[in-house]
Amino acid sequence: MTKLFASVFASLPDDVKHDEQLSEKMALVQQFVRPENLDIKPTFQNETSWLLAQKELQKINMYKAPRDKLVFILNCCKVINNLLLNASIASNKNPPGADDFLPVLIYVTIKANPQFHSNLLYIQRYRRQSRLVSEAAYFFTNMLSAEAFISNLDGLSNQINQIAGQDQREPTESRHHTLKEDHAVRPKSSEGKRLSKEDQSSLTKIASISQLENRGATMLLEDHRMSNVFREYPYMFAHAGDFTINDVEDLLNNYKQLVFKYVCLLKGSDGASAAFPLSRSQAQPGQHVETVEKSEDDRAIVQNFGSQKDTDREDDGPNGISYQESTKPDFPKEEAAASSEHNHDDTSEQ
Amino acid sequence: MGCSSSVPDRSSGRSTGLNNGENSEGPDAKNLRVKLVLLGDSGVGKSCIVLRFVRGQFDPTSKVTVGASFLSQTIALQDSTTVKFEIWDTAGQERYAALAPLYYRGAGVAVIVYDITSPESFAKAQYWVKELQKHGSPGIVMALVGNKADLQEKREVQVQDGTDYAEKNGMFFIETSAKTADNINQLFEEIAKRLPRPSSS
Repeated sequence: MTKLFASVFASLPDDVKHDEQLSEKMALVQQFVRPENLDIKPTFQNETSWLLAQKELQKINMYKAPRDKLVFILNCCKVINNLLLNASIASNKNPPGADDFLPVLIYVTIKANPQFHSNLLYIQRYRRQSRLVSEAAYFFTNMLSAEAFISNLDGLSNQINQIAGQDQREPTESRHHTLKEDHAVRPKSSEGKRLSKEDQSSLTKIASISQLENRGATMLLEDHRMSNVFREYPYMFAHAGDFTINDVEDLLNNYKQLVFKYVCLLKGSDGASAAFPLSRSQAQPGQHVETVEKSEDDRAIVQNFGSQKDTDREDDGPNGISYQESTKPDFPKEEAAASSEHNHDDTSEQ
Repeated sequence: MGCSSSVPDRSSGRSTGLNNGENSEGPDAKNLRVKLVLLGDSGVGKSCIVLRFVRGQFDPTSKVTVGASFLSQTIALQDSTTVKFEIWDTAGQERYAALAPLYYRGAGVAVIVYDITSPESFAKAQYWVKELQKHGSPGIVMALVGNKADLQEKREVQVQDGTDYAEKNGMFFIETSAKTADNINQLFEEIAKRLPRPSSS
């Protein structure tokens, strides 16, 4: 098998392509995914120990025999199992079942980002069937379902938005998160359905708002001076360490203005937004992700600094921004984007 | 090692260490081996039922040594057959529901668990029943289990509802309590009795 390895492992162009896509996706997702996004209970969250499991999983590429590869998958699963078990004993919770195991496995897989698809196919094709039974079969199936889950994180543009948005809301809302995110991650559910779980305050309007948001994000992407747009906002590229205590007041003021503006826009959009075409809202999912992520990061930093009081701010950020653009449906080009942002800023300061 | 996936299995004497060795013995009329998949909303106590079944009858205080997501347990029936259950737990959260077919593929038994204090989990159980009727292996043995029967005062799903639903769908129904171990062994014994026996050999 080791001699054949070079010619049978990931030899089909399709497989290689699939590998690359999956790997790209994981590279993207691993930047912002958090244990709670996958329904991992707080008791079991322990990212440092999961590194051990990640290491095991990454070793999969060092060996060529299907059996060895399988061994590392099983090792990884065992490490996770043991960690979960210790955590459950320590906290006197019920022993961990698949409810706890699978999410951690998916998380670890995303973080480890092995050459996943090819490895699994290879094991499936060349591991003797009679050996792939029982426990090995079970954990291998878990790996397959982790792969299926990750591949199905599709149409990322909308979903990441929501996942990321949820990230930073209050933990007390966690049940609410779970509901929403379920829909977000499942590719089949329609946009409307997902959005129906959105902010309680704006149930009826949110669909159009998010369409506007998507439009806005798409425009931003076409805009090569994207970062200029965000420069209009003094804290957008700041780091937590840059702040002084004096900035707090400033930040709070900015935040209040933003909320006020957003709420006004939300109200105002009720009638107007219905007329906007949808056609571009789904465009360029991959790239959209980058924008969202970027702004998400920055906002996260801001939030960390600003602490508890402004839990809503994160949600306002992207909505507010995209909204401003979309109030001009026939939005010309990048300059306009920048200037509209700018104007907006000015007016709000009055 | 060769590329032997297509070679007929002659592995009975060989042990690679990866295996638990028990697999060499093929299923026959006296020793059945069956894959059992557990379905149900998260938090209904799927894994507790299994743990109770696998470990409970020996020493309830023993510290478990492996996770409860995969367990196997052999039981002996009165007609001197043994049934080895390989129990596959599944993640019950809504977002992982789409992955379930990977798990119940090839399963001989499906145990669908709900929590008698949670009508939602009962609705979810019905969803799984329909799902299995559509996509499960033909002839799969299904059992509907209302767990947490010890919480009588918080009961929200009546026994009758469970019984009726199970009857309509040709399933076996039982209420259990993983906490008090009530009906746990009965559940698995009953399943074992209902398993189709290999007619020949």
